[in-house]
Amino acid sequence: MFRVILKISARNVWRQKKRSFLLAGAIAFGMLVITAINGLTGGVVDNLRVNFSHALGGHIFISGSEYLDGGTIVYRLADDDKLLSALAENSAAIASLTRRSQAMPSLIFGSRQAMQLVYGVDFAEEDKLLSSLVVTAGSLADVTSEQLVILPRSVAERLGVEPGETILMRLDTLTGQRNVGEFLVIALIEDQERYGISAAYVNRGYLNSLLGLGEEDYQALNLFLHDMGAADAVGSSLRRALGVPEPKRLADVRGMDEEEAMAELFGFSRVSEVEPWEGIKYQVTTINQIMEPVEAAVSALKTIGLVIFLILLVITMVGITNTFRMIMIERTKEIGTMRAFGMQKNVVRNVFLMEAFLLAAAGAAVGLAVYGCAALILGRITWDTVPAMQFFLDHGRVTLDTSAREVLLNLFLILIMSLTAAYFPAKAAAQLSPVKAMSSNL
Amino acid sequence: MRTHKLALVLLLLICCWTVTAAAKDLSVIEAVLQKVDEQSSFPHTDLSAVLTIITEDPEAGLEKMVVRYFRRDDGERFLLVVEEPRTQRGQGYLLEGDNLWFYDPSSRKFAHTSLKESFQGTDARNADFGQWSYSSSYKVVDYTEGKLGNFAVYIIDLEAVDDTVPYPYVKLWVTKDSNLVLRTQEFSLNKRLMRSGLFPSYTRVGQGVIPTQMVFVDELVEGKKTQVSLSEISTAKLPDNVFTKAFLERANR
Repeated sequence: MFRVILKISARNVWRQKKRSFLLAGAIAFGMLVITAINGLTGGVVDNLRVNFSHALGGHIFISGSEYLDGGTIVYRLADDDKLLSALAENSAAIASLTRRSQAMPSLIFGSRQAMQLVYGVDFAEEDKLLSSLVVTAGSLADVTSEQLVILPRSVAERLGVEPGETILMRLDTLTGQRNVGEFLVIALIEDQERYGISAAYVNRGYLNSLLGLGEEDYQALNLFLHDMGAADAVGSSLRRALGVPEPKRLADVRGMDEEEAMAELFGFSRVSEVEPWEGIKYQVTTINQIMEPVEAAVSALKTIGLVIFLILLVITMVGITNTFRMIMIERTKEIGTMRAFGMQKNVVRNVFLMEAFLLAAAGAAVGLAVYGCAALILGRITWDTVPAMQFFLDHGRVTLDTSAREVLLNLFLILIMSLTAAYFPAKAAAQLSPVKAMSSNL
Repeated sequence: MRTHKLALVLLLLICCWTVTAAAKDLSVIEAVLQKVDEQSSFPHTDLSAVLTIITEDPEAGLEKMVVRYFRRDDGERFLLVVEEPRTQRGQGYLLEGDNLWFYDPSSRKFAHTSLKESFQGTDARNADFGQWSYSSSYKVVDYTEGKLGNFAVYIIDLEAVDDTVPYPYVKLWVTKDSNLVLRTQEFSLNKRLMRSGLFPSYTRVGQGVIPTQMVFVDELVEGKKTQVSLSEISTAKLPDNVFTKAFLERANR
């Protein structure tokens, strides 16, 4: 019987090609939109996470502070037993380590100045960083000079400086003494100020000398993991080993003011509440913590996408209901004839429902196929001409990442709503009396 | 061989004489520094004044700020309340010993800050409004005698004794006859000139003296300088509640 129903339904769908094409086309469009939104947002989050981790120099970030006599807090790390043992415990998950120093100096060129976050890095060990930077002017070919700086383009524009020129960097040592360094600008890079990553990069040894640190000292130990997905688990393990409490999540700090929220999220102590401590106080931050606000924004985008998808579906369903009502009227005599030949009510209903199912399935399949083609084509195009987009891309390429769960959920929604829309016309068709239907003038 | 030995002994004698002579001279300069500190502090009187701060910034242009200034050296306290411009009105600084608080009336919150920080983005530092103490914070490493305009001065090279001061190296031009600091140059840890100070006029207040005009020049940013002028200077006794957070919260409300 199923084969008969399938055959009749397929024939009915096929014989009204134009109508079927429009209905399936609307469904295909809806499926394409929601899958594309899911794919784009998923790809953007993945690319941001990878690009952020390269720009920040790791998947997990360990920093430490010491409380000195006189109340000065200095941020520095040392390869002490506690840290080394915590790293040894997680050595299987750790792919590589980078050690960085950082400062928030005033950059000066002529009569212009700008405050800027500066990372002191060991360029020899940070090849991933160099490959992730998008150079807009100058070159990263020679990073061996001690007093070089790689500047964000926006900062260079503010200062009016170009590659090949020298800028001054005014900063404080760890204990608060003034110091000045001279740096040769070798390259300008694209940055993403709006996402909180706007950093200049300099040689760690020279920055350390300006900060009053030893040449081999550092302020942040950044870990690249073999699997970025393990960042939370490894982060928790390191926190346990270093005696750091688990941080709060974004949802936990809603309603707090900015200062309180930052203190809760990232463990920054409010200066007015600082209590002296002995030894190094560690902080462990994962890439997922940093990405949480971005993911919250992406999640909102996905919700908006789902709402648009549902609205599209409702409009399509109204179309399906009306179409099936029309079909029922058009086929009144045909239904009467089939009923007179002994076709049961439920078979009539199932023919209608099968037609709706075929339309929905075909539409969804077409939508997915178009999405697949678009993904293939987009994935082959390199968008080098749009530097501001680079942080969202994978080496200049758009990536679409849709999970099977999301596709199945959307497919399920389309099928259920299509069947629901067709159900009432199908039921009405099944209820038609064969005698009345055959004597109908329609 | 004997000639060599004789030459060596002579050289040692010259070195010893030079070191002794230098030490003697430095002690004179240390005394000068002591006097500079003594006459710039007011341990027995309060001090109040109005500061007019004009900053020339090549990027931001000319900015004027009027600040009410209260100081009590007994207990190392001062209070600064911004009166102009209107956008910063009510912002203030309260020094209580080692603690310097910044108050922002828009958030109604106090934040801990440092004497080493710049005052409101100008070239003046918060420490410029407190008690000076060159003799305890710095040691004399060298000096020369010279002239600054018509004034005979000691030109003194100082080096910080610890890392509690923002500038590790300072050069002072101090008048020989009155121990007034007329000019300063402040250097970074790697001995680069960062800020110059000019103190062209002083006024006597009780037992001490206070500059009525100070000019601070940013030596790194071309064309950036700040002029601080003091007016309405008074040594009248101030109520104790002036040097409190509550006073700062109420000021300019």
